[in-house]
Amino acid sequence: MVENARSINIAASILLAIGILYIVGPLYLTLSTASQSYEYMLRNGLAWVPGTELFANMGKVIHDTRIPVQMLNSMIVAFSNALATCALSFLSAYAIVYFRIRWAGVAFALILATIMLPLDIRVITTYQVASNIFSPLNGVLDFTGLNSLIEMVFGAPVQLELSVLDTHFGLIAPLVAHGTGTFLFRQFFLTLPKDLFKAARMDGAGPIRFLIDILLPLARPSFASLFVLTFLSGWTQYLWPLVGASTPDMQTAVVGLARLVPDADGQVPDFPMIMAGAVLVSLVPLTMIALLQRFLVQGLVLSEK
Amino acid sequence: MSSESSLFSHRWLPALLLAPLMLLIVLFFYVPVFQAFYWSFFLEQPFGGGSEFVGLQNFQRVLSDPEFWGATGRTVIFMLTASSLAVIVPLMLAVAADRKIGMSYPARNILVWPKGIAGASIGVVFAFIFNPFVGLMAPLNSLFPGLWNPGIDGTDAFVTLVAAHVWSGIPFNFVILLAGLRSIPPTMYQAAAMDGAGPWRRIFDVQLPLIMPQLFLTFVLEFTESITSVFALIDTITGGGPGGSTTLLVYKIYVDGFRGFDLSGASTQTAILMVFVLLLAACQFFFLGRRINYER
Repeated sequence: MVENARSINIAASILLAIGILYIVGPLYLTLSTASQSYEYMLRNGLAWVPGTELFANMGKVIHDTRIPVQMLNSMIVAFSNALATCALSFLSAYAIVYFRIRWAGVAFALILATIMLPLDIRVITTYQVASNIFSPLNGVLDFTGLNSLIEMVFGAPVQLELSVLDTHFGLIAPLVAHGTGTFLFRQFFLTLPKDLFKAARMDGAGPIRFLIDILLPLARPSFASLFVLTFLSGWTQYLWPLVGASTPDMQTAVVGLARLVPDADGQVPDFPMIMAGAVLVSLVPLTMIALLQRFLVQGLVLSEK
Repeated sequence: MSSESSLFSHRWLPALLLAPLMLLIVLFFYVPVFQAFYWSFFLEQPFGGGSEFVGLQNFQRVLSDPEFWGATGRTVIFMLTASSLAVIVPLMLAVAADRKIGMSYPARNILVWPKGIAGASIGVVFAFIFNPFVGLMAPLNSLFPGLWNPGIDGTDAFVTLVAAHVWSGIPFNFVILLAGLRSIPPTMYQAAAMDGAGPWRRIFDVQLPLIMPQLFLTFVLEFTESITSVFALIDTITGGGPGGSTTLLVYKIYVDGFRGFDLSGASTQTAILMVFVLLLAACQFFFLGRRINYER
């Protein structure tokens, strides 16, 4: 279209420049402060120019804190969360879309409902369940009176106990109990042509073969999007790893970073060291965004539809 | 082969495929949700000290607690201010980035970065940047003492929280709104231009009306998001202070439950918050229903 849109283009450019500054500004100040010494920060406050102490500060974080172990924990949690979510969501969406089951709608509604109440809201009682994952079973046995029956026969009621707190499984499992992945794969399956299924049936493909040889290769982009999305969400979790792991060696890097800031008032905290920690902790997810941005954006758009 | 067999029939395979995810969801979603409502009618002793049915006493106690109403009021204020900004700022950026200008490519890339930074990480960073003694405002503070101190002034602390929340919320809302803008067919603009609408006019008469569905959606999702994800920011920036001025409901529940060991009180507040969020979700479905009318 040929028309004079200069004023609006200039306004848009200025707006975008401000937006970029708002996003990059804090990141730049983090990096520049992380590269200055504690004394410099005490004298000058915020560092506007980068210094030479970045690796010294990072060294402090690596040697004096538990951040390296915690980054490994974050890696395990984020990676397993992404992998488990991809696998389980793919299977459940497959069952819902491609099988003639009467309760498919109910199952999908039950899975989808998890999107409405995030983990942060139900953290109190999720913690109680994680402290003994058999407590629901015990409750059912008590409630139905089966336990008094068992007590009559065997002399003692069944009281199973297994805590998953302070384990990697306990950190990961509540994150996987989420419906976004199933939703995303279901949407994808519904966009595939029906003839694909008929042709595969005609060639004699059973459910397993259809799943592995046809759906799996087709779903590769969806897998990538969901993987990036859930990896980032696993890495950036805060409240659940905070309560779900009580020992420093089981906590995730984000929780460890927040713990670097001393609670007590008084002397100014070693902000350059803390900022170096923030840089370290954000390095993995930021690299991922830089490399796999296409899939991230696609995943965000898909999870909305 | 008849068209009826466009689905597999199998007795146990679908159940087996669904079982792992269902098991996790029941255990870590439905049981906790149920338990929160269940416990709100019982007086729970910490450390498994037994429980006692108390009817609506927990609700009476919570609802007559001024601190609960304070936290609820602050949650609503935060929800309205922070989430409005967290939608309007990305909206303006998306409208700008939708134009074919040199800045739009780097902007589309950079504005997604916050998605990779944990709320707690940016909280730690913002706590430093807005620190009254060494941060951004330190030079101004030495000129005008007492101008900025989130450690003492509750409003300053609240503003810091909002700024950090908007920062973290930009990627999702920006991507959704930009996708909405880009799906508007160019013929719409051409038709509007033929009718004499200039580029500024078209923003309000073509673009905004046509991305209403996305706009409603981001608003309602952002409401829930602002209620829950703010926990990481509060815990790292203000710790609920000063004087409880940034203690939002999600933070109060954590403090009551994990520091005060008041399981019944925390569960009751959880139950109330859940009902509140579900009501918001009901609004979401209402808007999603309306969305169909806007379909092009």
